[in-house]
Amino acid sequence: MPSSSDTPPPLLRFPAEVRAAYQGFCCTRDEAALRVVIFAAVLDFMPKSSAHSRVDALRPEQRLIEDLGFDSLAVAETVFFFEDLFQVTIKNEEILALRTVGELGDFVARRLREKAPVA
Amino acid sequence: MSATPSSSRRPVVTGLGFITPIGNDRASVLASLREGRHGLAPVEFLGNPHLPVKLAGTVRDFDVSSTSSRDWTWPSRYAIPRETLRGLAPHGVFALCAIEQALAEAGLAPEAVAHDPGTGLFCASAGSARLLHHHLGQLDAARGERGNPMGVLSSISGTLNFNLGAHFHITGAVCGFVSACASSSHALGYACDEIRLGRLRRVIVVGAEEHNAETILPFAAMRALSAQSDPALASCPFDVARDGFVGAGGAVAVILEAADLAQARGAPVLAEFAGWGQSADGHSVAMSHPEGAGLRLAMQRALADAEVTPAQIDYVNAHATSTPVGDRAEALALRAVFTEGGARPRVSSTKGLTGHPLSMAGVMEAAFCTLALAEGFVPGNAHLRTADPVCEGLDLPRESVAVAPGWVLNNSSGFGGSNVCHVLRRWAG
Repeated sequence: MPSSSDTPPPLLRFPAEVRAAYQGFCCTRDEAALRVVIFAAVLDFMPKSSAHSRVDALRPEQRLIEDLGFDSLAVAETVFFFEDLFQVTIKNEEILALRTVGELGDFVARRLREKAPVA
Repeated sequence: MSATPSSSRRPVVTGLGFITPIGNDRASVLASLREGRHGLAPVEFLGNPHLPVKLAGTVRDFDVSSTSSRDWTWPSRYAIPRETLRGLAPHGVFALCAIEQALAEAGLAPEAVAHDPGTGLFCASAGSARLLHHHLGQLDAARGERGNPMGVLSSISGTLNFNLGAHFHITGAVCGFVSACASSSHALGYACDEIRLGRLRRVIVVGAEEHNAETILPFAAMRALSAQSDPALASCPFDVARDGFVGAGGAVAVILEAADLAQARGAPVLAEFAGWGQSADGHSVAMSHPEGAGLRLAMQRALADAEVTPAQIDYVNAHATSTPVGDRAEALALRAVFTEGGARPRVSSTKGLTGHPLSMAGVMEAAFCTLALAEGFVPGNAHLRTADPVCEGLDLPRESVAVAPGWVLNNSSGFGGSNVCHVLRRWAG
């Protein structure tokens, strides 16, 4: 398990398996590990879920707004989480094109492929 | 106002909610006021034990110290959905819980106020300096290229209005008040007016503040805070040895509604909100007028509005925060309004128990006055040992007095010389 000193601040409150997946992605660039982090973040920012509970696993085809109850603020929060975690900047027009969980995951993975390896 | 406003224009208090240093519900607050139990606790701000700020009026059973709302904890009886939590400031959590309590006491389910055009929400806080500092720090570190999308909504002054108005689905009116330590007193005063004018039938009034370093410590730079580490010495309004106030946080909510509406619902009426008055010193950005001229005028206006004489007032909840200048000005104003005319109400500042919660002070003390009227007692002056000679002629009981007041006056003053006074009356039906 990663120690808290290896965990960037945005991930501190996430379960150990999510933090381990992040560390795994940083070491190996394994996009399956990255998707664990992305899905965990989507669950975490879902505005209609209870503040103290988790919901069932996501599916890539689920639409953020229509199926999962996201509003534009929650989408912006989720995107900011990735910006903060991976130190990237994502433009408004890029956000507006993302409709499903899968599209969000693909977008983040693609952006990180374009970026220098995470420190 | 007419001498006998119709019951549809007569504001009454039907619910109170407390998240305060002296208790997180009505029963514990009442016991603290009666028994003189203070809520001041040791603090060490910014990890620096050498700071001359040793105490604060802190809230128990909540942990909202993190800059991430995901880390916060609160008593499990309050349900805060993720959709609401994401935009709240730390003191927004206190405020939401206080409102839930007040609605419950008033016999109002959340559905009864949701989408009701007769219900408004008036709020008072200085915003969250802690979250504002944090979010601007993030923005600065990224050279402006990215920032938290909830940064504005969760931190600026007005954060209570935005978040709680949406959470409780308030449609009558949502407004915020910013006059420093008179803020929530202004909120209550204008709530009274809205009901008297027939524009609203019910107003939820809430004041809230944080007790963290970012909110309290800047007052040390003004030399306004007590440096004492002993609670008995640190917040002692009207005492000759007072050396500054003790910062505090929490939230208090009051439900004000038209008397006929309350009676038609069968709601318990706790007190009548009989009138209010305000004035301004026109004197200094921070210091009170040396003779309390503005506060004197505000008291006189409140008494005139309620159509009550100084001699009829049984109890005054003073603003006195334990600062040398402010308490002196208020003592002189009280002497001018009451003593010089032969009136001698009991006077106390409950900030000896709570510390000074800034924007929240006025609504908190109006709620204490409501408890005094409803429960039949007068709070005492905790920690008062030797009254300042400037208080000569004022009746300053050390301990609470088991005498039921009929009329009470609640004083507030804020930076820039804003003065607001309320008159409340025991409900006789």
